[in-house]
Amino acid sequence: MDALLTSAVAGLTAGGTYALLGVCAVFTYRLVSVVNFTGAAIGTAGTFALIALTEAGYPTWPSVLAGILVGTFVGVAIGTIMTRWFAESSASTKAAVTVALLVGLIAVGLRLTGGQHPHVMPELFPGSAFRLAGVEVTIASVLTIGLAVLFTVLSDLFLNRTRVGLHLRALSDRPMAAELLGVKVQLLSLLVWGLTGAFTTFALMIIAPQRSPNFMTLSLLVVPALAAALVGLFRSFWLTLAGGILLGVIEGMASTVDSISQYRSAIPFLVVLAVLLWSQREARWDDAR
Amino acid sequence: MSRFVISDLSVNRAELPVVSKVSLVAESGAISVLLGANGAGKTTLLEGLSGIIPVAGGRIELDGREIHKARPGLRSREGLAHVEQGRTVFRQLTTEENLKVGLSREAEMAQAYDLFPELVQRRAVRAGLLSGGEQQMLVIARALLTRPKVLLIDEMSAGLAPVIVTRLMNAVRRLADEGLAILLVEQFAALALSIGDRAYVMRRGRIVHDGECKALARTPDELHRLYLGTEAA
Repeated sequence: MDALLTSAVAGLTAGGTYALLGVCAVFTYRLVSVVNFTGAAIGTAGTFALIALTEAGYPTWPSVLAGILVGTFVGVAIGTIMTRWFAESSASTKAAVTVALLVGLIAVGLRLTGGQHPHVMPELFPGSAFRLAGVEVTIASVLTIGLAVLFTVLSDLFLNRTRVGLHLRALSDRPMAAELLGVKVQLLSLLVWGLTGAFTTFALMIIAPQRSPNFMTLSLLVVPALAAALVGLFRSFWLTLAGGILLGVIEGMASTVDSISQYRSAIPFLVVLAVLLWSQREARWDDAR
Repeated sequence: MSRFVISDLSVNRAELPVVSKVSLVAESGAISVLLGANGAGKTTLLEGLSGIIPVAGGRIELDGREIHKARPGLRSREGLAHVEQGRTVFRQLTTEENLKVGLSREAEMAQAYDLFPELVQRRAVRAGLLSGGEQQMLVIARALLTRPKVLLIDEMSAGLAPVIVTRLMNAVRRLADEGLAILLVEQFAALALSIGDRAYVMRRGRIVHDGECKALARTPDELHRLYLGTEAA
């Protein structure tokens, strides 16, 4: 029982990251209508910029800042491609484009970072924050969940209380109608891509030491992130947050059960399947009537 | 006094020419009515004017400034507003939020409510829940708050009850009397000609008539002939 609790608490760090990546995915989908498969890869690019700088001997915190800037820049670059050439495309076309971009980013990233070549990722927040039911809760766990909650709260406030947020909501509803009213559509879209790039980069910097710091592994964190976003049906920030944390905790607990621990990476797929079946139940019942 | 001049404008859709070498003028204080049968190219022309579709040739000038290469947002900031057909409200935003999206620094919300007092009671209601007439009032009022010099209005009467259409037409006339230049695309030809000043008729992407609204309103047979092109038969 203790082992299960310990693993569940250990899963909070991953859960916080899934939650933040998921909330960023919802933010991008709601505001620029893109199911973004490159979210984690953008953060990974920034994280590897940090690794490269620290390996070259630069101090940690300026390197963190530089890494976040790289993540923001890559996010804006992807956003530029999407807004310049695919703004009027269907949601499925946009999603397909981000899958293609993900493949491209992983290929370039693996090439630049030496593939499976081992890297030393500095642990930004080592140590324990507090004990919960006799189990150590790491600072990284608290921070990733805190960051996810902060992003969720800020997103809500930003969208509902500011003029730029109002413009973003209008943009997400009818981009052309918003542009015809003088809303700076391209600039705002790039702001969304830049902001999510910065947040995902920081989240991945926190979680990277606990994962294999390999470009592909980190980039594919987009799978649990999109599973979390699906829990919120790509609309609710709070449900996505809860979904992400729950996913991390379940994954952590699964690691203690020998018979299923090697399949725990499949848990997001099960969640996706369950949510899709649940969300389609009304249509199925309607068809059956 | 604002002057909106379109010279030899051509607009393509999917690389097919839909509007060919159209020239027309809209001036402050006047309503220019653009008539024509379905498929004549009226909506495509308006979309080319506001920048939704890039123009294939010709010039668009607003107060002497060429704007035909600018993006829609920049054309809006230059003073061109486009009320699209289909009542393009932001469905998830309230009436008041819809108005705020277009609100320029020089404009006040009161202007919108003064033009359409019906919207005051509906200010906190999601725009997607408004009636068709209220939605049309909202998109016109929203465009007005961008402080335009020229207002392009596309098929505002489509699907609305005659009493609402009359209400909207009167509001458009009022906006022109207050100094706006208006280019009105309308299916209800008789009603549009009754409030308009200058009439243009389009057929197969070209302007085939340019004259006064009153004169055209007095000769329905001529209007019918212009719509259908029976002189060619």
